[in-house]
Formats: sequence, structure tokens, C-alpha cells
Amino acid sequence: MFSSVLVANRGEIALRIVRTCRELGIRTVLAHSAVDGDSLAAQLADHTVRIGPASARGSYLNAFAIIQAAIQTGAEAIHPGYGFLAEDVDFAEACALHGLAFVGPPAEVVALLGDKTRAREVAASAGLRIIPGSPRECGTAAEAKRVADEIGYPVITKAAAGGGGRGMTVVRDPREFSRCYREARATAKALFGDGRTYVEKFIETARHIEIQILADSHGNVVHLGERDCSVQRNRQKLLEETPAPGLSDDLRVQIAAAAVACARAGGYVGAGTFEFLVDQDDEFYFIEANCRIQVEHPVTEQVTGMDLIREQLAVAAGARLSVTQEGIRRIGTSIECRVNAEDPERGFLPTPGVLREFRPSAGPFTRVDTHGQVGLRITKDYDSLLAKVVVWAQDRHQAIARMERALGEFRVRGDGVHTTIEFLREVLSHPIFRDAKHTTSLVEQMTSSR
Amino acid sequence: MLDLTDDAAAMLLGVLCRHTVELLGAAPTPLRHIRVHIGDIGVELGWAADRPPGGALGGAPVREGRRDKDPACADPAGADQPGVRPQQEDAGSADQEPDIVCAPTVGAFYRRAEPDADPFVELNDIIEAGQQLGILEAMKLMNPILAEFPGRVVAILAEDGESVEYGQPLFAVASC
Repeated sequence: MFSSVLVANRGEIALRIVRTCRELGIRTVLAHSAVDGDSLAAQLADHTVRIGPASARGSYLNAFAIIQAAIQTGAEAIHPGYGFLAEDVDFAEACALHGLAFVGPPAEVVALLGDKTRAREVAASAGLRIIPGSPRECGTAAEAKRVADEIGYPVITKAAAGGGGRGMTVVRDPREFSRCYREARATAKALFGDGRTYVEKFIETARHIEIQILADSHGNVVHLGERDCSVQRNRQKLLEETPAPGLSDDLRVQIAAAAVACARAGGYVGAGTFEFLVDQDDEFYFIEANCRIQVEHPVTEQVTGMDLIREQLAVAAGARLSVTQEGIRRIGTSIECRVNAEDPERGFLPTPGVLREFRPSAGPFTRVDTHGQVGLRITKDYDSLLAKVVVWAQDRHQAIARMERALGEFRVRGDGVHTTIEFLREVLSHPIFRDAKHTTSLVEQMTSSR
Repeated sequence: MLDLTDDAAAMLLGVLCRHTVELLGAAPTPLRHIRVHIGDIGVELGWAADRPPGGALGGAPVREGRRDKDPACADPAGADQPGVRPQQEDAGSADQEPDIVCAPTVGAFYRRAEPDADPFVELNDIIEAGQQLGILEAMKLMNPILAEFPGRVVAILAEDGESVEYGQPLFAVASC
């Protein structure tokens, strides 16, 4: 195992990683921006290095500064968390070049599976069903239009280099397609520095199911079951749960096996997620792979009792997985709610401000991963995730009741700061959600009926 | 010895520096020596024995202290951090802060071109805009640290060879 790890992230995930490192006796170095020097992660890290200004471009996306910080503090590995440089092929390569272990898949795996069009090819080669669409990125708008016309509307355009639900556009009207496609390319170029865009059939009523994978560099691949992430707004997840409700055991096994097959085909190493859409006929389609730890990983941890950050670190250090597939047991139900500093009444607009009161949920089987504290300045420089409230219970019914109780206790107050807490409570009490009949369009239904 | 985080130490140095320069502005010249500590806090100024400090505070020429564009440099903790800026003595006193030259990135700070060479600058040197003050080595690239403005080096805030952070104060330069 490593003796020293640099954490190149911020917010709750930086804190999450620092905590596991502390449990493992690993010295932590937190690379932080100019405004994050007082964060909880900075307080708990053994060492901190200010790497750049508040803007992510100069700090958390500044590969040069992060690697320099790792070298000068003697760190052996860099954990990128999620977002920022977590799936950046050049960064993974640069780490290797400087003798630093990148806590994530090898650069060539990120290049393959982190690229959505190439990942589709890998999935297809592994026998997975992929959503009908362009085989690779489309070139001209005319070329893309031919594909869209062929697969039928509505279609969705996606950035090949995209992630986190950004850079996607749903097109329902063929006459709108060319304009939307050109805009999508320009957006992809602006967001990801890569304009390549592809077209897929848009499946309107579907559940978003993803499989957590763990793989080591010795060829062992296991899955830790699925998560249902159907409660989304603009393809941003708001609530996740495991096990996925309303999924037959047979289907569960099939999807997990497909994810394992895809991970093997792509030579996956590390913790990763393979995402699928499950339509109303219980057909499932591969969407994409996430070559990183995910925001919603705690629900899997709660039902398996495994620390995924620990597994990531062990695998990155060359160790074998600590478990076999047979050794993985999943008990009970876990739900996560993402508390964002956003105002649902104003289209989920981020609400910057300073926290004046902050009392997160607590109590039995209630875990809150948060960097929140009184005095925390929420800025527009970073995303608006403030806390993840995670509960565990023996069944879904109890888990929902526990989450309602937990969210009811959560107090956040700050000048101008709004949160999604009340909205999440509405989701929990929604009859369609309670009956587990919801799809990815639930939130849209809720907000449009207001 | 104080038990400070690097951030706190950097901030404290900045504060000391500003206080030092404020005192300098109020004192007659020439100065004999100046010392800015961090271990036991500090700020030490010495004048020649026959020219004790005197004169009213506020007699110095007023010059608006120049602050770096990036708040990380002059004030790492943010604009409303209490107690960072020295209090003004009165309305007429000089709010003269030194210009702080900060590290533009993380890296190793060097005061000389090579181990045997003389330092680029020494304490109290009068410097010109564009003059090289030091080197910041990051990822094997040697980045020269250049003075953006003329003045006098009133403090050297990092050790030769020290690993520094982004925005860490390296030199304090007072206008002449």
C-alpha cells in the first residue's frame, strides 16, 4: 500500500478520500485552490498545498501544478476523486510518466472506455446491446441527420468526450435537428475541448441502472450489484438507491453479467461503473462507462460493507481484490439524496452564499458525506453539491421513512442559500416513487405539473 | 516554537511584512537592519544609534499599497479575513503596504541561478522593474521571478530551495 497519497479534489469527496487514507495509515496531501484552504478536508489532511486560484482551470484542472505538488510533497499516488481530472487521459499518462500512481484505471483504459463512442464499440464487441445510433461520432450535420432519420425521433446528441450528464440535447423534431446538432458540437467543444458528437435513439421511459465494478490488475473482475439512478433532472442524478426496485432478479443478474463482460473486454482496472437504460419491456442497453469513483458510491458501500476508496487504493497499489464474487453479500436497502445548494423554485439555479447554520442529519443508519460547515462559502467556481445524505434500512419502505426523517432534521441556512432538501422530500413522498414505478422522466413530470 | 499550518505561517508573514513596512514608512532613514521572524512572531527594526526613530506617525508619503490581482497572494484566506490588514493609526497615516511578490505556481524557490552563484537580490537592494528576483522550478522548468515594479526589497519571505505553494509570498518590495 502507498505511504502517501495526494488528493486532487475538493468538497465532500476530498474529505471522503482523506478519511479512508487516515484509516489506512496513509499520509495525505491535499492539493487545494486558494479558497479551499480552510476546508474540512484541509483540516484533516496531514499536509496541504495550495496549487492555484479559485478557478478550477488554474487549480483542480491544473495537471501541471497537481503533479508538481505531488512531487514536492513526496506523494506516491494521486487520487483524482470524481469530476475535474478523474477521467483525463493526459493526466493519467502524466502521472505515470512522473512515477506517480494514478488511482484510477490505466490511461489506455480511460482512453478506451472514457470515450463514449469507443466504449460503445467495446460494449458491442462484448455482446451488449447498445442504444441504436451512430456507430461513431458523426461528421457533418447532414451525415448526423441521416443517422437520426434512420433511427427515428426523438434522438439525443451526446458529446463523445462528455460526462456527468452535460453536453446532451434531445431533438424531437427532424426540422430542428441540424441546428441542434451544430449547437451540440459547439457546446461539446466549449465544455470538453472536443467537438465530437454522436447521435442515439432517445428512450423516454426508462430506468437508469448502473453496475458497480471492481477490477484488479491481476485479471479479477467482480460486481457489487446495481444502483437505480432514475431520479434525475436534466440527466443530473438527484437520488440513488440500491437494490434497484422493481427489477427482477433475473434481469439484475443479466445486467451485472453484461457489465462484467464489458469491463473484461475493456481491460478494466479499478473501481468503475457501467451504466444502462432499462426500458419498459425490460430490455437493457449499455449507455456508458464511468472510469472513476462515483458520487453515489456510498449506497453500494452501505449494503456491501465494503469501502470502495480503500479498494481503489489497494488496486492502484497493485494488490489483488480483497473479495471474490461469491464473497460479496448485499444486505438491505440504501438510498442517497444529493443535497445541492440550488433553488428548485428557480429551475435549480445554484445559490452561492455563506452558510450561517449547518446541522446535517444524523441518527441510526444515517451517513452524511459533506464538506459543509458554518462559514463555508459556496461559490460559483464549483458545482453545487453540498451534502449526500445516505441511509440504510432492512427494506425500501423503511429506508424511505428513514430518509424522510433524516432530511427533516437537516438544517441549512445561509444568506441567499437554498437547497434541494424540500424537493427531495417531495420525491420521497411521490406515489410513483413510492411504488417504484418511476422512470427518468419523474422529475420532469413533477416540475412541469407545478 | 509556533505550531502553524503552512497557510497560517504564510499569512502571518504577510501580516508581519505589512506591519514592518508601515513602521518603515513612519521612521527616519537610514535603517540599520530589519528582521521579520515567524518562529517567535517578530518584526525587528534597527536604526543607527545617533538617529533614533522620531517624528510623528503619518509624516511619510502616502502611497496606496499595491495588492496583487489574485487575492491568494496578498490574502490567502479571503477578503474578509479579520486582522490581516494592519489598523490605520489615524486618517493621515500611511496605508502603505509593501508590494508582495508571490509564487505564481507551486514549485521550488531558488534565490540564485546556481548553487555557487550570488543571490539575485539581497535584503535592502534597490530593484528595477523587470529585474530577476529568483527562480521558481516546477516540473523541471525554471521560471524566472521578475519584479513587476521598482522598489526596495524589504523582506525575503522564503528560503532558498524551499518548496512553495501557489500565491506564497516570496519578497516584500517597498516603493522608494
